[in-house]
Amino acid sequence: MDFKLTEEQELIRKNMREFTEKHVDPIAVEIDETSRHPEELFKKLAEGGWMGIPVPVEYGGSGSDYLTHIVAVDELARSCASTGFTVSIHVGIACMLVLLFGTEDQKKKFLAPMARGEKLGAFVLTEPGAGTDVMAATTTAVKDGNDYVLNGTKTFTSNGPTGDTYFVFAWTDKAAGRKGMSAFIVPRGTPGMEVGTHFKKMGLRSSQTSEMVFRNCRIPQENLLGKEGAGLLMAMTGFDHGRTGIAAQSTGILQAALDESIRYSKERVQFGQPISRQQAIAWMIADMATDLQAARFLTYHAAWMKDQGKPFSKEASMAKLFTSEAAMRHTIKAVQIHGGYGYVKGAKVERLMRDAKITEIYEGTSEAQRMVISGNVLR
Amino acid sequence: MPQMIACFKWVVDEAYIRVGASGDLDMNAVDYKISDYDKNALEEAARIREQAGGSVAAVTVGVPEATKGVKDALSRGAEKAFFIQDPSFRDLEPSQTARILAAVIQSRIPYDLILCGEGSSDLYARQVGPRLAELLGIPCLSFVQKLTVEGDRVVAERRTDEGQEVCTAPMPVLVTVLPDINTPRIPSVRDTLMASKKEVVPVRKEDLPDISSPFLETVSMKGTSLKRSGTRFTEDPGDVKAFVDTLLQKGVLK
Ligand SMILES: Cc1cc2nc3c(=O)[nH]c(=O)nc-3n(C[C@H](O)[C@H](O)[C@H](O)COP(=O)(O)OP(=O)(O)OC[C@H]3O[C@@H](n4cnc5c(N)ncnc54)[C@H](O)[C@@H]3O)c2cc1C
Repeated sequence: MDFKLTEEQELIRKNMREFTEKHVDPIAVEIDETSRHPEELFKKLAEGGWMGIPVPVEYGGSGSDYLTHIVAVDELARSCASTGFTVSIHVGIACMLVLLFGTEDQKKKFLAPMARGEKLGAFVLTEPGAGTDVMAATTTAVKDGNDYVLNGTKTFTSNGPTGDTYFVFAWTDKAAGRKGMSAFIVPRGTPGMEVGTHFKKMGLRSSQTSEMVFRNCRIPQENLLGKEGAGLLMAMTGFDHGRTGIAAQSTGILQAALDESIRYSKERVQFGQPISRQQAIAWMIADMATDLQAARFLTYHAAWMKDQGKPFSKEASMAKLFTSEAAMRHTIKAVQIHGGYGYVKGAKVERLMRDAKITEIYEGTSEAQRMVISGNVLR
Repeated sequence: MPQMIACFKWVVDEAYIRVGASGDLDMNAVDYKISDYDKNALEEAARIREQAGGSVAAVTVGVPEATKGVKDALSRGAEKAFFIQDPSFRDLEPSQTARILAAVIQSRIPYDLILCGEGSSDLYARQVGPRLAELLGIPCLSFVQKLTVEGDRVVAERRTDEGQEVCTAPMPVLVTVLPDINTPRIPSVRDTLMASKKEVVPVRKEDLPDISSPFLETVSMKGTSLKRSGTRFTEDPGDVKAFVDTLLQKGVLK
């Protein structure tokens, strides 16, 4: 058993750390307050090769493995959970879907610009009536000559307002059940696809979330991803990768909660000594540090399984479930450790607590993860 | 097109050093990094090569475990590294490091321009650069905050106690740089991955002439610690007076 990252992974983590100190920390408060997508930051991430770490060089990526991408997301989310998430869903779901299921032409046309960070990907599955229950979706794709015609309304699309390359899931044959959904690559500007309502959110505020509306949106056959009817299977594979990314995002949030709690509790003096000397506070920090270690092991292990070419659905779900709940639990504690100063705007822990909540919801709620895990172990 | 050498030291990252209650330094969980100003030296070499062409070799003297440092240096633009290594090279003093570097450079690495950081993040003795120049018998320009290559000379802006001074020297020359000279790049993911594919020339102690024994002995090393008294002063005039009185009382002001 080898618990060590490679020297390259350690250096990449260090470089990401330096990147966040220089380019992300200074704007993290502002982009949260104004809900702004920091275009200029994503240009810099693109230049550094952070937008396509596990994508092979011939398709515009950095040519590394999935674990290295996960290490980068962990470190990035430590500074800004929204930015960490945007990179995670872009690489973990959008890029991986084309890499795993796309044709050679699709990889050249869609994957390469995404992996170079010139285009941003979006994953369009959830509908107003179909969240956890994906099968309740109503969006349809009807074959018409050489095209498919999409109709329906999707919701909660991350990168909806800012994306370039959308991965849209729709029924091609509803009667076929789990084998009736297909996935389509829809470039921004395709007639019939419109960005609907933008959502204002509790946290994750610089990530843009919106409805996506499809009205007789015509998609050429060549933009069908994978086989007709394979949509749901591909979405699940996308989730394996994406959930590992959310686990990394949660781990980064948890790390930041610990960093802030250690720093503040050593500085804050009450009753003549730093509050870190109070056992009540010290134990909160002990639990936080312990769960952080477990979170990181679960997350990196899931990514390692992926890199070994092994099935990792269960590991990805376990990692996401544990890390997201730990992030929520401990960011609440981190605010507690900061007392009133943790409740006011500008305190990092205040943002961390709001950002943590979403990790228990998207890419499958904690309940959905428990369904996957129990289904797996009770099989 | 200058052939350049950038020297660097792989040092303890001070952010990881813990200071115990009695001032003892706990190095158990430390990480290492390229010494801060040496990053500027590597960056300056890479910058000159990108503008004027030429080549960059990174050179370090250290313990065999410093392989990560060599990769780090190679991810910052050097195309080749010389890794002078021995388990006993952990606590070399500047005169020894300079002698080792001189021996290796003289016998193995052609050069026009050698770049060093002004001083290392750990000891900051500021001796390796000037001593190395002396041993190689070449001019040394220290405290350099701006550097250009013009033909077969370098023009350097030096920061001295009196102000700034511009001077020029013929190559081969050794330059020690200040942090203001540039902003070291953050290597891209690809730069880091490609670093492992670059050539590393190992040089071992057996390949070197005898290195003299050290002149210095470290008797002890203690950290300073900051104890807070927990007293607060506001902008209230009475408090300002109390603040000044406290500083006088503690001997901070005289
Ligand atoms: C900020 C944000 C970004 C998002 N980004 C994307 C995106 O990019 N792409 C995308 O497709 N979607 C996205 N989503 C949607 C997200 O994945 C869904 O919100 C999530 O899957 C839950 O669906 P729902 O909101 O409809 O909740 P519901 O499914 O209605 O669930 C409500 C509650 O019931 C529970 N529940 C539901 N079914 C069961 C069951 N069988 N057993 C036990 N409990 C159950 C749930 O766990 C939850 O607690 C995003 C959502 C948000 C808020």
